[in-house]
Amino acid sequence: MGAAGAPGGTRSFWTRGRLSIETPTAVRAVVISALVLFVLLALPPLLSSYWIKVLTSVAIFAVVALGLNLLFGRVGLVSLGQIALLAFGAWAAARLFFLTDLPFPIVLLLSGVLTAVIGVVLGLPALRLSGLYLALITLMFAGLVAIVVPTTNFPNGGSGVLGHTESSSGGLAVRRPQFAGGDAAYFRYTVIVAAIMFLLALAHVASKPGRAWAAIRQSEPAALAAGINITFYKLYAFALASFMTGVAGGLYAGYAEKLYSYQFSGARTIDSVTLLATVLMGGIFSLWGAVIAAVLQQMLPALLQNWFGFFNTNPDFLLVIFGVGLLQVLVTAPEGLVVSVPRDLGFLFRLASRAASRAAGRGNEA
Amino acid sequence: MIEVDGLTVRFGGVTPLDDVSLRFAEGACGLIGPNGAGKTTFLNVLSGFARPVAGSVRAFGEDLLRIGDFRRARWGLRRTFQQEQAIERLSVFDNVGLVQEHCGGLRASRRRDVERALEFTGLELLAEQPVGKLSARHRKLVEVARAVVGSPRVVLLDEPAAGLPDEETEHLGRVIRKIPDAFGALVVLVDHDMNLVSGCCRTTAVLDFGKVIASGPTEDVLRNEHVLRAYLGTETQL
Amino acid sequence: MFPSYQDFYPYIVTGLALGGVYALSGVGMVVLYRATGVLNLAFGAIGAMGALISWTLINHTSFPDWASYLLCVVFGGLVTFAYGVIFGPPLARRDPLVKATGTLGLTLVLLGLMSYFWPPFGRTMLLPTSTPEYSYHIGFANVDVTWTQIIGLSFGIFVTVAVGAFLRYTKLGTAMRAMANDREITATLGVPVRRVEAVAWLGSGLLAGAAGLLLSDLVGLDPVGLTFLIVSSLAAALIARLRSLTVTLVAGIFVGLATALLTPITGFPSETNYQFSLSSYRGAAPFVIAIITLLFLARRRVVTISRTEG
Repeated sequence: MGAAGAPGGTRSFWTRGRLSIETPTAVRAVVISALVLFVLLALPPLLSSYWIKVLTSVAIFAVVALGLNLLFGRVGLVSLGQIALLAFGAWAAARLFFLTDLPFPIVLLLSGVLTAVIGVVLGLPALRLSGLYLALITLMFAGLVAIVVPTTNFPNGGSGVLGHTESSSGGLAVRRPQFAGGDAAYFRYTVIVAAIMFLLALAHVASKPGRAWAAIRQSEPAALAAGINITFYKLYAFALASFMTGVAGGLYAGYAEKLYSYQFSGARTIDSVTLLATVLMGGIFSLWGAVIAAVLQQMLPALLQNWFGFFNTNPDFLLVIFGVGLLQVLVTAPEGLVVSVPRDLGFLFRLASRAASRAAGRGNEA
Repeated sequence: MIEVDGLTVRFGGVTPLDDVSLRFAEGACGLIGPNGAGKTTFLNVLSGFARPVAGSVRAFGEDLLRIGDFRRARWGLRRTFQQEQAIERLSVFDNVGLVQEHCGGLRASRRRDVERALEFTGLELLAEQPVGKLSARHRKLVEVARAVVGSPRVVLLDEPAAGLPDEETEHLGRVIRKIPDAFGALVVLVDHDMNLVSGCCRTTAVLDFGKVIASGPTEDVLRNEHVLRAYLGTETQL
Repeated sequence: MFPSYQDFYPYIVTGLALGGVYALSGVGMVVLYRATGVLNLAFGAIGAMGALISWTLINHTSFPDWASYLLCVVFGGLVTFAYGVIFGPPLARRDPLVKATGTLGLTLVLLGLMSYFWPPFGRTMLLPTSTPEYSYHIGFANVDVTWTQIIGLSFGIFVTVAVGAFLRYTKLGTAMRAMANDREITATLGVPVRRVEAVAWLGSGLLAGAAGLLLSDLVGLDPVGLTFLIVSSLAAALIARLRSLTVTLVAGIFVGLATALLTPITGFPSETNYQFSLSSYRGAAPFVIAIITLLFLARRRVVTISRTEG
């Protein structure tokens, strides 16, 4: 999972004779594994329960952002309905949790698959539309869901098709996996599932679908001329992104424990737009951008609420930052923070070291 | 052998191709004509990007027009575009392999097929380089490599030497001339460079305003007075 | 129980009024899109913020009311114009998706500002034309119509006709139509492209401001709600294929009526235990209409490559 377009070609001992994009070197793989292990083992004891919950939501949204990162970064498709799909995944998972005794991972898989089906159904007619119209239709879908859900309500253990009960004592909490009931344990569980999703994404990107997507993104006529079945691969991208979002939805159901409609209500159609903003800000040329996007979307509000009373009144002020960030990315830095921050930091570092050596030189003269 | 009969394309009040009938026998065949003659539209019809309102196209005995979209490439029809289509951030190897894996190439033979195409175009040493870093000449060769990898039946080349200086055009011409023998494919070459066309193609057809005004052995066609008038006439109008 | 036809009358009035106002923003969107290629999705938020500013001026300062209303409209024009000046040029060569996404960025910024400076609180905007002295009673239908509603519909019609005339009979309007067809050629013909674009930005912004003011009275002064009402105008503009102003007007009225007429349809059918109230889903009507329109536009699949001949 490295930055794309590394100068001189991506040389690695896996590319000789094998077709691949951005296969990580052995060193990179080790570093990433170490990082993940640190997050899993060392981090939870260091944090308070509040921050553990925040980081859990970061992990969940990283998967959602990953879906959009794949869709837009790899295939060039903009979907503004991902949050609606997340809501659907959570709904499906909650329903399954209450209706059946299936183990947690199976429910996650099922909610992923169900969401993938919805994604494909949505994607089918939308494929004939150009980029703008696809974005619009997914936005309309998001708005539709945002209006319908508060009226139909999330399942909370009640009976009937919707599984919803109005009685205040009847709402049950969504169950969690057997060994991951507590917050810290659930955090670890979520991170592991998220890591699996990232590996799944990487596997796709580095093999045949990834190459086909790159061709489609660059030029559809050329892709057709190369024998690529564009419709199939676009739908596949939709299915994959929706599957991931559905799994994230299942994780979200377990995380929130009690799903309330207001979390997905009308005011939050804007969350899909915010997601696009953060995914772009995080960077679409690398899968890591999805992690940054989730940090922006989930951790920033928590940070600001805790540290600056200024924003305590309304975390929606962050929308201003996301809006400005989105505009900035569109206008100037399409590669996003993942590339521009290290680059800018490197530039600043060189500037600083040059200034320091000049000062030292002058000091020697004095 | 490609048999085109009565091909007519019409859109937006324009008729880029008007009752065009041509035969492309084996080997390399040229297609020339002044600007706006309909050459690219012709290639578009052959490769499935434009729909004719009348006429038929048969290639190796099969009705090409019934094979849609990407399936034509899988059938064995390749084309290059005037705009380069290789993916810049991928290596040469990957770009060529991309075509192979989607045009019915087997995984087992991928390495061999790609290396064969690269050796043919002289790009073996640049296999791992990202296409974006190559010179114009090498990028044109990449386009050719993508067009010949595997076992194509028909290769359509749309102004493959556009913008190249003479010496590099000659080199490209030498490569193109060898395609029919090396891969057994029928080549249709569209270009403005007469030297390139006469160097590669035994037979040539000429289009002007959507109609065929000459076709036959290349030397004869290039001396044909209708052809000369079509070209010179356009120039004096400017 | 399905309501009787008399129950629908007040909603026909509401629907017509709203439809006219949707057409205001819709016409602005279409004209701006044709002149600049930008589908401005921020018009709802722009109008909402203008209305909030007006409300603050009216209720918390001694600023004269008429000036506050005017300021709402002017604000709409200024913000849109400023956006066009700042973000128009750098995005000018990008595809429509990128340009529209830029306006989504603007929407985020405005929503954030509105959330911060005007925390959630029940605010109402009551235009002087909505008070009982300014309403008519239509006897046979037993309906009251306020002047605001009449203004809503008639202003919508007036603007459609006026802008249509502007496009057809003035030099600037003709230039705008030429630009809609082919930007590059128009620029080389000596048409003042910058001026045309500026007029388009400013004009559509003024319309958005006016729409915001009227909607804040007719629908309610809720920033988020007003922001998303843009979908109704968008649906109208899409039905018009972002081309015809007259169709935008008719489509806007259609969307307004469709939404309003669902209001009285509550709880049907009544024989079953399962109460399904269409009314509570009426907010979804513009979205559904937009989706259906977009799907309809997608009927023909086109993969084109450049038509430049060789």
